[in-house]
Amino acid sequence: MRIRRLTVDYGTALLILCSLGFILPRLLPGDPFLAIYGEEALLNMTPETKAAIISSLSLDKPLGEQFAAYWLALLRGDLGWSYFFQAPVLSVIGAFLPWSLLLSGSALVLSTLAGFIAGVESGARRGSRFDNFSFTGLMALGGIPDFFIGALLLLAFAVHWPLFPLGGAVTAYGGKSGWALGADVLRHLALPLASLFAVRLASVYLLTRATVVGLLGSPFIRTARAKGCSAAAIRYRHIGRAALLPIATTAGLHLAHLFAGVLMVEILFGYPGMGALFGKALSARDYPLLQGILLVGTLTVLATNFLVDSLYPILDARVRKTCTSATKQQ
Amino acid sequence: MLQIDKLSVLFGRQAVLKDISLQVRPGETLAVIGESGAGKTTLALSVLGLASGARTGSILLDGRELVGRGEEDLRTLRGRELAIVLQSGGEVLHPLVTILDQVAEAVTVHFPVSRDAARAKAGRMLADMGLRAGRQNEYPHRLSGGERQRALLAMALVNNPRLVVLDEPTAALDPRSKAEICALLKTRLADKAALLITHDLGAAAAVADRVAVLYAGRILESGPCRDVFAAPRHPYTRALLRAYPDMGNPKDLQRIPGRTVRNAPGCPFHPRCTQKTAVCAERVPELKPGGADGRAVACHRGGIIPCLEVTGLGKSFDSTPVLTDIDITLYEGETLALVGESGSGKTTLARTLMGLLPADAGQVVLEGNTGIPRKQFYEYIQMVFQNPGEMLSHRLTVREIVREPLDVHGRGSAAEREALVLKTLAEVELPADEDFLGRYPHQISGGEAQRVAVARSLVLAPKIIIADEVTSALDAGAQASVVRLLLELQERRGLALLFITHDLALARKVSDRVIVLQQGRIVESGPSGQVFAAPRHAYTRALLDAIPRVYGY
Ligand code: SF4
Repeated sequence: MRIRRLTVDYGTALLILCSLGFILPRLLPGDPFLAIYGEEALLNMTPETKAAIISSLSLDKPLGEQFAAYWLALLRGDLGWSYFFQAPVLSVIGAFLPWSLLLSGSALVLSTLAGFIAGVESGARRGSRFDNFSFTGLMALGGIPDFFIGALLLLAFAVHWPLFPLGGAVTAYGGKSGWALGADVLRHLALPLASLFAVRLASVYLLTRATVVGLLGSPFIRTARAKGCSAAAIRYRHIGRAALLPIATTAGLHLAHLFAGVLMVEILFGYPGMGALFGKALSARDYPLLQGILLVGTLTVLATNFLVDSLYPILDARVRKTCTSATKQQ
Repeated sequence: MLQIDKLSVLFGRQAVLKDISLQVRPGETLAVIGESGAGKTTLALSVLGLASGARTGSILLDGRELVGRGEEDLRTLRGRELAIVLQSGGEVLHPLVTILDQVAEAVTVHFPVSRDAARAKAGRMLADMGLRAGRQNEYPHRLSGGERQRALLAMALVNNPRLVVLDEPTAALDPRSKAEICALLKTRLADKAALLITHDLGAAAAVADRVAVLYAGRILESGPCRDVFAAPRHPYTRALLRAYPDMGNPKDLQRIPGRTVRNAPGCPFHPRCTQKTAVCAERVPELKPGGADGRAVACHRGGIIPCLEVTGLGKSFDSTPVLTDIDITLYEGETLALVGESGSGKTTLARTLMGLLPADAGQVVLEGNTGIPRKQFYEYIQMVFQNPGEMLSHRLTVREIVREPLDVHGRGSAAEREALVLKTLAEVELPADEDFLGRYPHQISGGEAQRVAVARSLVLAPKIIIADEVTSALDAGAQASVVRLLLELQERRGLALLFITHDLALARKVSDRVIVLQQGRIVESGPSGQVFAAPRHAYTRALLDAIPRVYGY
């Protein structure tokens, strides 16, 4: 069935992507150890550490054993050693990832919801004042890069009017807990979230509006009117329902974009997420950490695409039916 | 009851419907027929306020005015009191929702019932429309055209509305589903007022009680369905029927000449009408009731005009009656076949009509006029004979033969006459080169000679041609082409044909109506389809039985 086929497809993709982490350093000319850890790390390393790493990666063994060791390490969750943080890569990522998830997740949910509603309202009333106003406004907003909006927000609401903190995810040593902690987290979240939200909102809005406008002439809308459906029911139950599928598809494709945005905004606000971590790892040339981050990024993109793909049949009965009947025929 | 009064719908400055007035009583189905582009769908949508054009006039549903009502107000009526079955093309049903839920929504929109109760009601209605429970949870793309149509019907009827508008409910259905849907409509609409919009005359005849003919945004004719189809009064209605293949009409399909002209001044049909007069292009004819029969026609000339009316015609040779009490009405643009054995008086009748023999009794009226002078008479009515030799002088060339009537009537200059001769020869599909024009009758074939005879009779542009056994001397191929020629002239010029023949098989293919003559009396007459399929008189049956059949059935 569909889900099984999807799982096989995505599993294969996952295997290939993970194997790349093994193959690439070894394709480079020279010492794979150097390629994996980089020169800088080498300088900071005692010969003992180096020997330990070489043996854990089986770099002194034939290629087949190296590959087996690579996969075993991966399965154990051993992504390597971050010499910059002096800790295993996995635990470093574990400390940063939740903040990124909080930021990008809330940005994704909020902007999709708001963009969808605004897009439906605007598209269904094409040519109205509301439509013209929001269309022009959001079109302009969508044209501005996210870090620029972030910088503007930062200057305005953290520097000029210090309503929000300048950066970070919580007040350091604030000693808060419970509700106070929650409020503190939200206060820190507000500006980075707002900048991500603004950009995503525009893209979801424009996409929804275009889809809705395209659906306006559909015969089933007239059928709904003939039934006596209210304008709101037509907009959401009929048009919105039919627009979900193309929107989900495109939204899935735009996820990579969102992650890039998260990266920028986190660096800008010093928000302790994957973006900030990536920045640090990059400037320290902490190769294993970089590789771990990329792996997590790839996994996230893969997972969300898998989610969108599995959503199709729920959103569109035609996909579900044709797939079952296709498998039946086989 | 639905009462539409002077309804016009404008899209921008373009009027798509003009002064539509019609009524539908409870329990009655009114079919609105017409070609695509006539404004049928706009009419259907306008009744529910679903058309985007601007409406003027009045639409009363049980005394409540629908024109000018606010959208919210209309919304509460739609689907509850007045429902529509929209044309089932493309995605008329929501592609992502099951049929059952879509029908159930029609209930929940108007009544505060639970989802389950609405579904139960929808399920019953769908089952009523012949959609099994197993099919009700399907999505629209999994259903056949007939099933989708049933679903749309269920959606329209689920709240038991007073008025149902149906827009092409049988379009794109195969014949069996069409028949089933028609039967379903007939029973389900029995207690409602229904407006059936269709281009399918068969469906209209099967379902509707009355019919209105829509053309270029106006109603041209209306009346009881059966009567209008059996005897159309408006030239357009007749043209529409002639273009529709029907089992009951054996005559060949005929085109409607020309094209619809949008926003023509005067009568909308006048650019294509073969009996128009000057006033037709100037004033719009009103849809006038014709009497107690419930029919109405919008035509300055009162509908298709009778061009020839013969009453009580009698003729005897040496006190032996040859024709007794002959009544004939020949309408503009129609073929009336006069059939009977040799000796039944057919040719005598033709000659008496032409004034070649004096009549003993009765009168002949041409387009409402009696006692027309001979000369004018022949400009109006011409005859083509069985044997062209009888008519074509052997001392004249083709050119002279065709030109002679013009010379006699002193029409035009020499150059104009020559031009008319060439044009007429082209019209009967004969060559118009010097070689052919210079030939004598014995130098051309029988089929060509008959065409020359037709050209000669046509050159004065008569409205009536009496064709007396015109093809009996020809082989089948030449006969077919002369007959096709006459029917094409009929399409183009509105020629009325009195087609005299002893060949019933031929008469059946060319005629709209038929008269059977036996021993100088009319023993049977009626629409060809009816007379040939169910002859009433023993003599007609005998004639029909005597026809040898090529195909053996
Ligand atoms: S005769 Fe005149 S009014 Fe009647 S249909 Fe022809 S054009 Fe119209």
